[in-house]
Amino acid sequence: MSMEPNYGPDAGDWFCARCGERLEQRKVQAFYMNSAFDVLLPRCPSCGLTLVPKSLAEGKMAEVEALLEDK
Amino acid sequence: MDQSELHAVEAHCTQEAMPRCRAVCPLQMDVRAFMEHIAAGRARDARKLLERHLPLPAILIAVCDHPCENACLRRDLGGALAVGALERHVLATTPPQTRLIPRPPRQQRLAVLGAGLAGLVVAWELSRKGFPVDVLHEGDARDALRRSYPDIPETALDAEWTDFGKTPVTFLSSQYDAALIGRLRQEYAAVFVDMDAAATLLPLQRDDVDAATLHVEGNVCCGGWTDETPTGARLASASRQAGEGRTAAITLFRLMTGASLAASREQENDRRVLHTPLDGVASVARVLPAAAEYDADEAAREAGRCLRCECLQCVRECAFLERHKEFPRTYARKIYNNAAIVKGTHTANALALGCALCGQCTEICPEGFSMADLCLHARQDMVERGYMPQSAHEFALEDMAQASGPESAVSRPDPATGRCARLFFPGCQLAAARGPQVLRVWRFLRERLDGGVGIMLSCCGVPAFWAGNTPLFDEHAARLRADWESLGKPELIVACASCLDALARALPDARLRSLWEYLDDLLPEAAPVADAPVVSIQDPCGARHQEGWRAAVRSLVRKCGLRGEDPRRSGTETACCGYGGLVWNAQPDMADVMAARRASDLPHTALCSCIMCRDRLARQGKESLHLLDLLPMTAETSAAGAASRAPVAGLSARRAGRVALRRDVLAEYGETPPPPEAAALHLIIADEVLARMEDRFILRQDVQEAVEGIERTGQKFLEKESGHFVGSWRPRHVTFWVEYAISDVGCVIYDAWCHRMWLPGAMQPGKEI
Ligand code: SF4
Ligand code: SF4
Ligand code: SF4
Ligand SMILES: [Zn+2]
Repeated sequence: MSMEPNYGPDAGDWFCARCGERLEQRKVQAFYMNSAFDVLLPRCPSCGLTLVPKSLAEGKMAEVEALLEDK
Repeated sequence: MDQSELHAVEAHCTQEAMPRCRAVCPLQMDVRAFMEHIAAGRARDARKLLERHLPLPAILIAVCDHPCENACLRRDLGGALAVGALERHVLATTPPQTRLIPRPPRQQRLAVLGAGLAGLVVAWELSRKGFPVDVLHEGDARDALRRSYPDIPETALDAEWTDFGKTPVTFLSSQYDAALIGRLRQEYAAVFVDMDAAATLLPLQRDDVDAATLHVEGNVCCGGWTDETPTGARLASASRQAGEGRTAAITLFRLMTGASLAASREQENDRRVLHTPLDGVASVARVLPAAAEYDADEAAREAGRCLRCECLQCVRECAFLERHKEFPRTYARKIYNNAAIVKGTHTANALALGCALCGQCTEICPEGFSMADLCLHARQDMVERGYMPQSAHEFALEDMAQASGPESAVSRPDPATGRCARLFFPGCQLAAARGPQVLRVWRFLRERLDGGVGIMLSCCGVPAFWAGNTPLFDEHAARLRADWESLGKPELIVACASCLDALARALPDARLRSLWEYLDDLLPEAAPVADAPVVSIQDPCGARHQEGWRAAVRSLVRKCGLRGEDPRRSGTETACCGYGGLVWNAQPDMADVMAARRASDLPHTALCSCIMCRDRLARQGKESLHLLDLLPMTAETSAAGAASRAPVAGLSARRAGRVALRRDVLAEYGETPPPPEAAALHLIIADEVLARMEDRFILRQDVQEAVEGIERTGQKFLEKESGHFVGSWRPRHVTFWVEYAISDVGCVIYDAWCHRMWLPGAMQPGKEI
């Protein structure tokens, strides 16, 4: 099972509200039910806060969650 | 469930049983598929089918007595299908489709005594398996057939004899004498005696041998008797003789190969009836050939009259059964296999979770198949063995906890007298959606009934039951019991049909009666109204077996000056709105299809006695009333039209509604609980944003908590141009994301979404990998 690797923000020009840095696509890990996935997501280069865009949450992520729950 | 239980369950569904035509055919000719091929112009496939099912096809088709035609369900709807004529048509117009594959010769030799139809079928079947067969006959080899079937065309005989020439069959002219069978038994591995052509050699009647094997004794079988007509004439049934030939051939094969004669032959004699609904089937007259025999076009039209007999009565009614494209018998097997999976994907979870557990199929099915039992047991097993998907019923069970927890629940005797002969149990969904009406009807009951009417606000526990979570249901039942017993075990007045069901399980010793029966007793009969507006009565699936409920609803509708009409499939056959079985939580889209379909069954404004029916039908745009919208003590407006279009309380509002009702109930006791703390942030959520959130089971309360948390930590993102913030909050095993902006008037919510995966960096700054 895999998740498509690279998800940008759905729309707009996004910054970390605290650090003021523009978000960059960085590799992070997501976990669910004893599985881990590497995925590229918008992330603050300074503090590391990571955004999960809605399209990912409701698309691929939901799909993978459902698959894992049926394991 | 073990194998034998599975078989018992499967047996209740007849969809895979044979159509009547095939069931009465001793050779089990697949007439339905044959018809389908011809109707579609697939003559070769039709011929292939004939060759697969029928021995000696040229002969058999020429002389068959076609019991299939007598049994055909079309018989009284334009005339039975012309099976015989269509078989002749295919045989005459389509070249052979199967090639005779020579088999390596076998050691054992078989003797067939008598060249009647049964004997020849035995020779035909076993020679094709490689056994050398000697057919012993008196006179000409074809005489026996000509005698029993005087009309048999010589061309048919020639055709099959040509084929015999290609197989190890030898015709031996011989003298039948008393010692012949004895000699053959010694010389051959097995012997078949044809009871038409060589009856004189074996004084046995049909009833003297086991019909399942036609085994006489040792290495001898027999079959192919003629029948006697009531007038004493001798009559040969070709289908019966050929069928006996085939049965005997199987026995002889087993005899010669040392297998058990009787084991696993049930299928040969499986004559279970396939139930085929005929309602709405129009009569269509048999197509007659212009010439002596059908041409291709006539044949296709005649075959097109076949009803393709099948049952699927439950499947046609239930959107869930239809969605999975098969039928209960195969679903049972899938669910059974699903439970056996240890490692790998449980592909039938969706099947077990999509059923509304409503029981309609059981009522419709002529055999009473219960998909609900099957799916409920599957869920119980999933919970017990830990493979129930986490998200399936989580929201519903949280909702149950909220409805039964301190902010919503209350359990008290009558506020005026402190007595409690009866206890009003409105149910947590009615309490959530219709608090003021609940309050008013409770007051009415208190005024009109002696002995005190207490109230219990709580969930009945049915969500836990539907989720298959027996431990949770039992725990909940124990709490209900403690409250009920502390009030002196009063009779319960119940306003929800599903609650009635759950309470009967939780408190089997309690007296339960529906609110409607009480109100019907208390309200006077009204004078009949001329031109009373008509409503379609939607019986809740929970009231399928609550006759008292259904009768009281109809009576109350009348007393309210309306004319209640029963839609199709009502009463015990009513259909679920999609609330049942928690489908609304596990598979909201499935539940919506159920609601839409039910809405389309109801020609007039729906009159519901279950708040979930009302709200789910209304969400589909169906004008729907709850009975409380009509009754004099609870009607909010005199215009039923307005009430039928009143908006549906969403999930967030329902939770708030329960909290508000509890406060109102406590006020009846002179208590005023401290008002809830004012929220730190005032949320502004547009209706369509809230509706979208709730479609994802995100509540206003979740967003409130999330935004407050995000603002506290300051961990959020900013979109420069719009000034919108996005942040996340993970209070339990769901991460909520909210897009919002802060203004002077409050916090405007633009969107919210959620996921269950955990990302370490999403909530607090995390390390890059
Ligand atoms: S009604 Fe449904 S379950 Fe019953 S026999 Fe027919 S197809 Fe099978
Ligand atoms: S209608 Fe077709 S399937 Fe049904 S009994 Fe007749 S031939 Fe068989
Ligand atoms: S939803 Fe109702 S009718 Fe459909 S399978 Fe389940 S119990 Fe039967
Ligand atoms: Zn940052």
